[in-house]
Amino acid sequence: MTQEMQFKTIAAQYCKVKPEEMTEDMRFREDLGFSSLDFMSFLGELEDTFDVELEEEDAVQVLTIAEALELLERLRG
Amino acid sequence: MEMLIRDILEESGKKYSEIKAVKWLKKKEIFERSYREMAENVAEIRKGLLAEGFKKKHIALIGASSVEWIESYLGIITGNTVAVPLDAGLPGEDLTDLINRSDSEALFLSPKNKALLDVILAECPKLKKIWLLQEEETEVSDDRVATLAEIKSASKHSDTDADRPDSEDVATIIFTSGTTGKSKGVMLTQNNLAANVNAVNYWTKPGSVLLSVLPIHHAFCLVMDWLKGFSLGTTVCINDSLLHMVKNMSVFQPEVMLMVPLMVETVYKRLASADTSIPKKVLANAVFGGNLRIIFTGGAHLDPYYIEKFAEYGVDVYEGYGMSECSPVISSNTPEDHKAGSIGRPLSNVEIAFDNGEILVRGSSVMKGYYNMPDETAETLKDGWLHTGDKGYLDEDGFLFINGRVKNLIILSNGENISPEEIENKLALGELVGEVIVTGENNGLTARIYPDQDVVSAKGLDEGSIQTTLQAFLDQYNKTQPTYRQITGLVVRKNPFIKSSTKKIKRQEAMIDEAVLPGEHQVRT
Repeated sequence: MTQEMQFKTIAAQYCKVKPEEMTEDMRFREDLGFSSLDFMSFLGELEDTFDVELEEEDAVQVLTIAEALELLERLRG
Repeated sequence: MEMLIRDILEESGKKYSEIKAVKWLKKKEIFERSYREMAENVAEIRKGLLAEGFKKKHIALIGASSVEWIESYLGIITGNTVAVPLDAGLPGEDLTDLINRSDSEALFLSPKNKALLDVILAECPKLKKIWLLQEEETEVSDDRVATLAEIKSASKHSDTDADRPDSEDVATIIFTSGTTGKSKGVMLTQNNLAANVNAVNYWTKPGSVLLSVLPIHHAFCLVMDWLKGFSLGTTVCINDSLLHMVKNMSVFQPEVMLMVPLMVETVYKRLASADTSIPKKVLANAVFGGNLRIIFTGGAHLDPYYIEKFAEYGVDVYEGYGMSECSPVISSNTPEDHKAGSIGRPLSNVEIAFDNGEILVRGSSVMKGYYNMPDETAETLKDGWLHTGDKGYLDEDGFLFINGRVKNLIILSNGENISPEEIENKLALGELVGEVIVTGENNGLTARIYPDQDVVSAKGLDEGSIQTTLQAFLDQYNKTQPTYRQITGLVVRKNPFIKSSTKKIKRQEAMIDEAVLPGEHQVRT
C-alpha cells in the first residue's frame, strides 16, 4: 500500500468518506466531518504508523489532506 | 461537616505518603511524584507566596496539565490566596482581559506559553510577579519574571506558613461562558470544592491509576480528576497531548478515566473500525491498555448507545451532570447505582427543584456568585437556588434526566459551553459580514452570514467570491482560536435574518428561514 493510501485508510476510520473518494483539496473538519478530537487522534495514529513526531502547534495549522500529506512528507525527510 | 481542600490533602499526604500521586511523560520517559513529595512542594509554594507578600490575593495560572501546574494550584488554594485557572488555548487578548478582570496580581505560566509574556507584561499592570512553571533558570530579564525554583527558595527564608483559610473563603475563580457574550468568573469556596469531592459517591483502592485527559482549567477535570483523585490516594497520570490519548492508555494502563462525550465517540471509532475477526477482549486490551474498567462522562449528554457498546468491551460508562457553578458535579451515575440515559441521582449534598421545567440546585457545592458581576449573580442565584439553564425531570426512582435548555448556550460534545454572542461579536468585525448568527451543528460551530450589501456592491463581488472571501476570513479567525471556538461550517445567506419588532435577530428562526428560501447558497455544513 502506498503511503498516501495508508494515510487515507487511517483517515477513513473517522469519517464516512471512502479512501478512494478522498481528494487532496478536501478539508478534514468541513468535508470529512472530523471532530477536533478525531483529527488529533488521527494525527496520533499517523505518528505511530509512519514513525514521525508531530508538534501540536504545526498540526493545528493543517486544514486539508494535501497539507497533511505535505507535513508528513517533510517529517519523513 | 465543613472542610478545606488543605484538610483533604494533608490527610492524603500522611495516609498515602509513599504512593505515587502523579505520573507524567517527558520525552517518552515516565516520571513520578509521591504524595509525600507533592505535599512538600505544595507547602513550599504556599509559604513562598506568603513570603513574597501575596496574602488574600488572586493568582492566575496558564498552562496545560503538568505536575508543576497542579502543585502551584494546590499551593495557592491551601493558603490564603485564590487560584484563577485560565485556558492556555485562548488568544493573548482574551487572557489579558481575564487576568485583569479577575484582579490577579501574580501568575504561574507554563514555559510552553512563554510567547504570551510580552503581551501579558504590557497589558496587565496589576501583575506584580510571573513565575514560569519550571525549575531551570530563565533568560527573561524582566524583574517581574521568575521561576518555580525562586518561589520555593523564597519559602526557605521564612518559617511562617500561611494560615488555614476559612471554609467560606473563595478558593478559586473559574471562568465559564456567559450568555451575554462575556465570560463569567465563578467563585467557589473552600467548602464548595471539599463538599463536592466528598459527596461524589465513588471509591477506589489507593494507588489505582487514573489517566487525566481533560483540560485542567475546567472544573470537571480539576475537581474530579485531581482533587477527588488525591482524596482517594489515586495515581493521576497526565496525558501529554490529545494526539496521544489512546497511546497513553497503553503506556499508563489506567483503571478509571473521566471523559467528555466527544472522547468516548472518538475512542469508539477506533474500536468500530477494527477488523471484526479480532476478539473484543483482545481489541479492548489493545485500545484501553488492559486495565480500564470505568469511564465517567460529563460536560454534555452522551448517547446511551455508547454505554451499551463500551459494555461489550468490558468498560462501564457512567454519565454525570454538573456545571462550574456547582463545583461542578450535581448528579452522577455510579457503579453501584445507575440507569442508562439518566444523569444519575443528585449528590447527597444537593437539593433539586424545578421551575417551569428548569432544574434548580441548592446545597453546599453551589457557588458564592460571579466575580464582580452582581446582576448576573442575582439572575442565576435566587433565594439560594441556582438556576442551571437546563430543563429536566426526576423519574420515579429518583434519577435525574435532562430534556432541553432554557439559556442560549451551545453545548458541544467536548463539554465546552459556547456563547454564540461572544463569537458573533468577533465575526461581526469582518468587513464583508453584515449579519451573523452562530449555531451548533454536527459537533461543531456554523456561522450563518448575511453579507454586507454595501461592500458586495462596492467591490462588485459575485456569489463565488463572497464565499471565498468569507471562508478566508473564517480561516484567519480560526487560527487565533482554540479548536472548540473555531467555525467549521459556513452558510452564506441571500436574505437578511428575520428580526423581532425591536430589530433583534430571531435566533430560533435563523435556521428555519434558510431551509425554505429558494436558491440559498449553502457551503460546507
